[in-house]
Parts: sequence; C-alpha cells; structure tokens
Amino acid sequence: MSTLRRRTILGSALGAPIAALAAPAVHAQGGKPYAGTTINGSCFQTTYFEYLKAYFPQFEEKTGIKVNFNMQAFPVYNQRTDLELSTRGSAIDVCNVTFIYSGRWIGAGWFTNLDTFTKDSKYTPADWAPEDFAGGPQSAMKNAKGETFGFSWEGGAMITSAARYDLIEKAGLGMPKTFDELIKVCDAVHNKENVAAFTADKLHHWNWIPYLMGSGGAVFKAPPENLTPTLNTPQAATSAEWYANLLMKYGPDGLLSYSDDQAMRSQMSGRANMRTQAITWSVPLAKHAESTVQKTVRFGLMPAGPAGNFPGSNSHGLGIPAGSKKKEAAWEFIKWALSKETIAMVVKEHGYPSVCRLSVIKSPEFKQVLTLNGQDVAALYLEVLELGGKTGYMKYRTVPVYPQVGDKINKAIERIATKQQGAADAMKQAQAEAVQDLQKAGFKVDL
Amino acid sequence: MSATGVARSHEQAGKTKAHSAQHRFFILCVAPSLAVLAIITLLPSLYLLVTSFTPLSLTRPETLWDFSQPFENYHQLWADERLHNSVWVQIKLSFWTVLLQLLIGLGLALLLNVKSRLLEALRTVFLIPMVLPPIVVAIIWKVIYTPDISPMHGVFKALGWNVPALITDPQWALTAIIIADTWEWFPFTMLMVLAALQMLPQELLDAAKVDGASPWQVTRHVTLPFIQGVLLVAGLFRLIDSIKAFPLIYILTDGGPGSLTEVTNYYSFLQAFNFSYLGFSSAITVALLAATLVLSWLIVRVVGWGVRVD
Repeated sequence: MSTLRRRTILGSALGAPIAALAAPAVHAQGGKPYAGTTINGSCFQTTYFEYLKAYFPQFEEKTGIKVNFNMQAFPVYNQRTDLELSTRGSAIDVCNVTFIYSGRWIGAGWFTNLDTFTKDSKYTPADWAPEDFAGGPQSAMKNAKGETFGFSWEGGAMITSAARYDLIEKAGLGMPKTFDELIKVCDAVHNKENVAAFTADKLHHWNWIPYLMGSGGAVFKAPPENLTPTLNTPQAATSAEWYANLLMKYGPDGLLSYSDDQAMRSQMSGRANMRTQAITWSVPLAKHAESTVQKTVRFGLMPAGPAGNFPGSNSHGLGIPAGSKKKEAAWEFIKWALSKETIAMVVKEHGYPSVCRLSVIKSPEFKQVLTLNGQDVAALYLEVLELGGKTGYMKYRTVPVYPQVGDKINKAIERIATKQQGAADAMKQAQAEAVQDLQKAGFKVDL
Repeated sequence: MSATGVARSHEQAGKTKAHSAQHRFFILCVAPSLAVLAIITLLPSLYLLVTSFTPLSLTRPETLWDFSQPFENYHQLWADERLHNSVWVQIKLSFWTVLLQLLIGLGLALLLNVKSRLLEALRTVFLIPMVLPPIVVAIIWKVIYTPDISPMHGVFKALGWNVPALITDPQWALTAIIIADTWEWFPFTMLMVLAALQMLPQELLDAAKVDGASPWQVTRHVTLPFIQGVLLVAGLFRLIDSIKAFPLIYILTDGGPGSLTEVTNYYSFLQAFNFSYLGFSSAITVALLAATLVLSWLIVRVVGWGVRVD
C-alpha cells in the first residue's frame, strides 16, 4: 500500500513537469493529441455539409478525431439547438450558428469565444487567416465587443434568377433591374408556355424585407440599439400589398405553402420562372443534374426600389457550444472544415457557390466554377456580400427577437395575400403583436 | 348483550380487521405503481404549473424562479387575440373531426359487422390510415393538396375544374385539415364500435326481431343504446387527441394561411420552441389541460356511460 502511495506521489511529481514539457503547440506537434476523441456535430440540411461528409475520413485520418455529424430540417435544427444550447449541455461539440438566431445565441453566452483559439498559436497557425473571412457574413458571428463566436461557412447573397430567361428575351425584355421592371417582366411572361412568372418560398420575413427596404420602409427603427418595430408605416403597408400581389398574381397555385426546396424545384422543373433568393438556392438551376433549365437560366442582381437596392445577405457559421467538453477537438474540426484548402476543394469538386473565404471567392477556380451560361455569378455574389457588409442594413435580422417579429411578418403577408385583411390592417396587427412580443422579451419600445 | 350478539360483534370486528388488512395490502401492492405514476405524470404537470407562474424564457435563465408577477402569464392570456383565435380554430377542428370520425366510424362498423371473408379483409384495409406514422399521413396529404404534383388536382384539371390549392385557400385550409384528420382517425372509432357490436347479445336482437322491429328500429333502439358507452369513450379519446393535433398542421399549413389553422396546441408550441417563452406557453398548456378536463367531465355527465350488460 505504502509502495503504491510512494509510486503515485513520485509519478505525479515527475509527471507534471514532463506533461508540461510534452504539451507543445497543437498544430506544430504533428501528432494526434485528440486521437480517440469523438465529437458530435450538428447543422441544418445543407449541401455544404453533405459534400463535406465525404471528406470526413480525411479529417479522421489526420487527427484521429471521430465525427458524428447530424443534419435536420432548418426549423427542426433551430428548435433542437435552441433547447440544447439553453441547457448548456455537452451533447453537441460543434454546430451551426444560424443567422437569425445568432444575436440571441451569442448574446446569451451560449457559444465559445473563438478568439481564444485563433489568437493562440498553440491552436491555430497564422496561415489559417481568420481575417480572410468576408466581413459581411462574419459580422453576424460577433458580439458587440467584436469577439468572434463562429466562422461562416455560408454566405447567403440574394440574387435574381430567371429559370426561363428565353421567355423574357422572347418578350423583348431583360433581367429586371427595378421593382417596376420586375412587374413589367412578370406581366409579359406570366403563364407563357405554362410557366408562372414568379416563385418564392413561405419565409416572407426573409424574402419580402429587401422589397420593404427598397420602398423606404424598415422592420425596426434603428437596430440593434432601438428595436421599436416600424411595421405599421405607410411604406410597409404599400410594400406588403405590392409583394403579396406579386406572389398571388404571378406565382404558381399553392405558392404560399412552398418550402425553400419546393420553390427551387418549381424553377428547376420549368414550372416557374423568376425568384429572388440566396445564391445557394439559385445556382442549382444551372448545376443540378435534375434541372431542366440548365441552358435557359440567367442571373442578375436583386431589383432596386425607389429607396435603393437592399439584397438580403446572411451567413451561417460553425461555432462551439459553451457547454461542450471537447472544445479543442471541436476547434480542430472547424479549422479543418473551414480551411482554405477544404473550402477550395468543395468549390472545385462540387461547384459550391456560397463560401465566405475571400481568397477562395477571388480565385480563378471560383470564377470558373461560377461562370454559368457565360455569366460571372461570382462577381454578383461578391457584390451582394459587400453591399450587406458596407451599410449594415442586415442588422435587423440578427437581433434576439427577430424569430418572434419575423413570425408576425409571415402571418401578415399571408393574411394580405389571401385577402383575409387589407394591407394596412394586417401590418397594424403585425406591429401590435410585435410590440407585445418585444415587451414580453423585456425590450424597451418607444411608441 | 346476549352471547350470540357478542359473538356476532366479534365476528364483525374480525371481518372488519381482515378487510382493513386486505385493504392495506392492496394499497401496499399498488403503491409502487402509484409512485412511478406520480413521478412520470404528476411531477412534470406540477412543474408545468409552477413554470406557468414565471416569465421563463430560455434566453434569460434568471427568469426560471422569478415569481414576482405570478399571474402575469394568465393575465396575458386574456389579452392575446391570436390565442383567442386559436381556441376558436380548435373548437371548430375538434367539433368537426370528432363528429365526422364518429359518424363514419359508426357507419362503417355497422356495415362491416357481417361475417364475410371479403368484409373482414376490408376491415384491415380500413385500419391502414390509423397505423401509419402521423408524419407519413401528413406527407401523403401534402402530396394530395399540392397542385403541381397532386393526383387529385390532376383529375380536377382533366375535368376542367379550377380547384385552388386547398391548404393555402382561406376558405378551404381548415376543411383540408379536417378531411385529413378524419381520414387518419375514423378507423379508431370503427374498430371500437366493431368490437362492441361483436359483444352485442344475439338474444336482444332476436327478441327485437320477434317483436317485429325493422332494421332501423333495431339499430335505433337496441344497437345504439348498447354501444353508447363505447361511442362516448371513442369520442372522448378523439376529442382529447384532436386537442393534441400537431403533425398535420405542422406539415400541411404551419398554422396558416395567416392563423386560420393555428390551434391552441400549435400556438403553445410556437411560443415555447420558436420564441422561447416557456412560461407563457406553460400557462397556455395549463389552461388547455383544465379546459380538457372540464369538457370531458361535462360530456360524461351529460351523455352517461351507456348500458351495462353483465
């Protein structure tokens, strides 16, 4: 017994300094310090991680870390993750920081400050270059102090796609550059060859806002400081009515129940023509094997309104939940998944369009991959990302209460589109409900 | 007291003692089950009730034990018009689905209560909707209700009828949910009624026939009173289940268009899991639970449990 104790004490006394000496910089070590660790990852269903999963064996080979990665439908993922993060549980080690939840999740302290990893050469080599991530998408991954809680793997840049541009050309028109031109094109091509002129999914609080801003309206007074809703303004009512009319007059029957994928499929199958949506949902029209419109699709910037052009841009990032007990291994995964090399590989081999590393976006390979039917779609993408980053008009979307307020917008647009209410009344109701929600959440509202 | 009286009294006391010992033994036997039941049902319900007195929000952990305004959530229930609308939608959905499921289930059970191989096979076919996972049922109806891919809309189109997309049409959205829910659950009533019909004593039917009763009179005066209790139980089950309606609404309409198909249960879910207002959502759920209990009690009081044949 006493021998054992002596051994333990001696072992500890000798072991501590040896262990300290044997803990060099992780990346410089060249070994596999986390070998045998299993990390759990989670994200909503997305092509980036579908593609990336095929390369997981490379990561596992390199680090010895095993990755369990689950993907769920977008709303399901957000609900589950919201609950998991709020408990500060350790079930997830690395997960998606969803754009509209980023303010809430980061603000509540549910994610790990990644600066501790990027600023420490023990964990991150300088050539990993965190500053290489585009500023617009990255802004949603930071808190008010500028600390980073996620690195973006997707930048959603809203563009216009016309699945059957040939019909537009035949009508003697081009890609619409303004709201008025959009209506003109819709009028000219609607139901020509059984193709509806416009399509959209039911996430109106994403799709409609660029039209609202283009008409001089806004969701909040001055986000993120002043979150007083401004949904009952004349601009909001006029714009909501205009948008509801766009959907109902020029969309396919049943459009109000369309999911993202359904809307994309309506274009891919040639049943609907134009859509203003993030590039991730637009590029498959030209690339997807099942697309029947590969040859006829064209892309353009989001049309501008009288008040300017405000294409939606968003981003989703990878972060480490505060409750994770395997943060270092999780960081190894993020480092690998979002390294220049991995992203460039996914772009090159799969034509993935919405990456956020500037060095990749500006590379000739990216341009080549995103030159679709002779169009430089990469340039369009960069233009939208820069627009979003410059003026910060997307800040409305990352405030903690946006899920609640967004729901009121969705409902209002549906009520207007189905003529249950006039636009002014519907928006007035949305405003009242949003105010009620903000007060419930403890925010001050100046009315 | 006579000797016989004393003996009787002793015997009585002995019986009472034995009875109470037996009673204690029964309680002892049932106690573990009751304890488990209390842990898995009563405790969560109690926690729900306690939570309903707090402004609990997932993003503000300090609200977990904040009882400074215990009735604020209940106060907000009165002011929330969307909640009131959801209750009205719930009433319409429950009324029509329960009524239709009882009528169709009863009708089919009466028709199928005949000894025939073909009809026995048919019974199994009719059970299919009920045994399918609710999500699969919702997806089947999503396909049926989506004009681009719907065989139903294909037929309408071929006939030259311009039928709108039912789940996005304000006139039809709730009806579309009622149809799908009825399709899914009428077999439950059918199954219960069929089981009851097969226990109906043949003597009762024979006696009625001997008295010259017509088939309608037999059904009206013999069969229906006999299965009244089963119909009540089936109706109650379906009523409680209709209040829990979720997958069909989640997949088909998301509560829309607007809030036309948003039932209270779904609204409570949105408050808790989309907006993180767990305290408010708990208050809705407590109110819903209370309403369900009161409604069930009322129905049992008014309709009764039916005829009991020993």
